[in-house]
Amino acid sequence: MNKTFRSGTIEVMVLRDVALQVRTGELVLLMGPSGSGKTTLLCVLSGLLRPSAGDVDLCGVPISRLPERAAAEVRRHNVGFVFQTYNLFPALSALDNVAEVLALKGMPREQARAVAGVSLAGVGLGARLDHRPGELSGGERQRVAIARALAGDPTLIFGDEPTASLDRHTGLEIVALLKEQVNPRRGVLLVTHDARLLQFADRVIEIDDGRIVRDESMHHPPAASAVPTQ
Amino acid sequence: MRRIAIRSILFDRGKLIASLLGVALASTLGFVQIGLYEGFVRSSSTVIDHVGGDMWVMPRGLNVIDYSQIVSAGPRNLLRSHPCVADVRGLLYGFSWIQRPSGIRSTAIVVAVEPRSGRQIPWGDILGDVADLNEPLRVSVDRTDLEKLELPSYPLGKTFEINSLKVTVSAVTDGIRSFTLNPYIFTSMTNGRRLLGLSENEVMYYVIDLADPRCAANLVQWMKRYPDIEIIDSATWSRETQDYWVGGSGAGAALAFTAILGLFVGGVIVGQTLYSMAKEHLLELATLKAVGARPMELAGFVLWQVAFLASAGVLSGFVLALILRRVLSHVGLSVVVSAGTASLSIVATLIMCLLASVTSLSAVFRVEAAKVLR
Repeated sequence: MNKTFRSGTIEVMVLRDVALQVRTGELVLLMGPSGSGKTTLLCVLSGLLRPSAGDVDLCGVPISRLPERAAAEVRRHNVGFVFQTYNLFPALSALDNVAEVLALKGMPREQARAVAGVSLAGVGLGARLDHRPGELSGGERQRVAIARALAGDPTLIFGDEPTASLDRHTGLEIVALLKEQVNPRRGVLLVTHDARLLQFADRVIEIDDGRIVRDESMHHPPAASAVPTQ
Repeated sequence: MRRIAIRSILFDRGKLIASLLGVALASTLGFVQIGLYEGFVRSSSTVIDHVGGDMWVMPRGLNVIDYSQIVSAGPRNLLRSHPCVADVRGLLYGFSWIQRPSGIRSTAIVVAVEPRSGRQIPWGDILGDVADLNEPLRVSVDRTDLEKLELPSYPLGKTFEINSLKVTVSAVTDGIRSFTLNPYIFTSMTNGRRLLGLSENEVMYYVIDLADPRCAANLVQWMKRYPDIEIIDSATWSRETQDYWVGGSGAGAALAFTAILGLFVGGVIVGQTLYSMAKEHLLELATLKAVGARPMELAGFVLWQVAFLASAGVLSGFVLALILRRVLSHVGLSVVVSAGTASLSIVATLIMCLLASVTSLSAVFRVEAAKVLR
C-alpha cells in the first residue's frame, strides 16, 4: 500500500509498499523518526485517510474502498482513538465526555451514562465522574480519553503519542492501562517516539522514510484468532 | 449533540454574553422598528379605522383622508334612498390654524362625525366626558399633544384658539396621534362646522353603513349619477391613505432599512461567535468524526447553539422591546406589538441566526477526521 500527498505540482510519497497486519490480542508500537510516516500510516489503517494505492481491511471490511459515510459506520463500531492532546470537550464532565460518544453510537442516554460510569471506574476515575477536563490532571484526562476510546467496546484502539504530554511516571501508567485493555477480542496500536514503552509491546514496527524497516515480535504470546486489519 | 452544543456555549460565558447581546439587540431593533412601522401605518388611517362604516363617499380624485374637500349635501338624500344603505353619517375632517397660549400659531386637524350608537368618537378617552363635546366650542385633545398645545397635564377647562375662536378642553384621549404630527381636535358636528367655517349640511365625507354588504357594487353603480363624487369601501380607503403616507413619505423604507441594518449587525456578531466557537472545538468535533459521527450530527453542534441563541435572544429582545415601547409611548411614538409584528420579528431573527451560522456549518462540514492525528 502507498500513500502520496500532492501539493500543487509537487507529489510526496509518504508511505511506500507498506504491508502489515495488526491482530487482536497484541499491543503494537509503531515507531520511527519524525516525518517517517507513522501518523499517516495510523490514519490510513484507521480509515481516516485513503491509500493512494492498495487496500486496507478493517475487521474484515475493505474500508479504503468504502464511501466516507460507510467508512464512518465501520469506525463507529470498531475503532477507538487516544490522542496526545486528549481532545475532550471542556464543557462536559468526564462522564458526559464518554457518554456522548456512546450516545452518538446509538446507545440510549441513560444506558450510555451507566456504561460510561463503568468505563471510567475501569480506568480508575470512579470518583471523578463529574469533574470537567479543566479540573483533572493530564494523566486523568488521558484516562478519560481511554475510557472514551473503550466506549462501545471497539476491536482496535489507535493511539497517537498518547504519553507525549505526560510526565514519565504518568505516561508509563497510561500505557500500562492501555496494555490492560488488550485481550483476544481487542488490539492496540500506538504511535510513539518513547523507547521506554517497549516493555509493554507485544510487537514493534519501525518505519523510516515511509517504509517498514522492522516488524518484530517482542515475545511469543498465544496467537490470536482474528486478523482484523491488513 | 444537543447536550454538547448547549453546554459548550453555556461554558464560555464571555462568548455567550456577547452573542446573546447581539441577538437580543438585533431582535429588539426588529421588534421596535416593525412595531414603529405598524404604529405609523395605523396612525395614518386611525380615523378611518375607528369611525368604521362600510363605505366612504368623497369628492372624486382624493387619495388620502387628510386632503379633504367639501362634498355637497345632495348625495346624502340619494344615498339614504338606496335600499341597501342602513345609515349615512357626515364627517368633518379639516386642517385649521390654532393659536397656543404663548401666541404661537400652528396647525391642527379638526374632526367631527355624526354619532352612531355603539361607536364612540373620539375613542380612548382618559379624562373628562366625551358627551360634553356637544356643548358650544368644547373640544378633546390627546395626551401626547398636550406639550405641543402648551396645555398642562390636567388640561380640562383650559382654553386655546382655533381659527380665532376660543375653545375649551372638555375631554382628553390617549394614543390618537396623526401621522402628520398635527394634533387631532375632536368635537361635535356643530362645533366642527363653526371651527372650519362650514355652512349647515356641508361635510367632507359621508360614511355609509350597509344593510347588506353584498350590495356594495350595486351602490357604487347607483352613485354614478354623481360623477364628481367617489364611493370607496372602508378597507380600500384606509389602505390608500396608509400607502400615501407610509409608502410615499419613505418612512416605511427608512424603518425597514434600520431594521435590516440592526439584523445585519446582530448577524455579524452571532456569526463571529458561532464561528469562533466551532473553530475552538474543531479538534473535538474531528474526534467525534473519527469515531464515526456523521456530518449532520456534527452540524447539530452549530444548529443547537443557533437554536439556543435565537430563542434566548428573541425572548430577551421581546422583553427589551416591551420596555422600549413604554418609554417611547411617553414621547408619543406608538410601537405596536401584535401577534403579526412579533411573528415577523421572530422569523427575521431566526433567519438572521441561520444565515449567521453558514460559515460555522461550512467549517464543521469540512472538518477532516484525520486532523486529530496530525
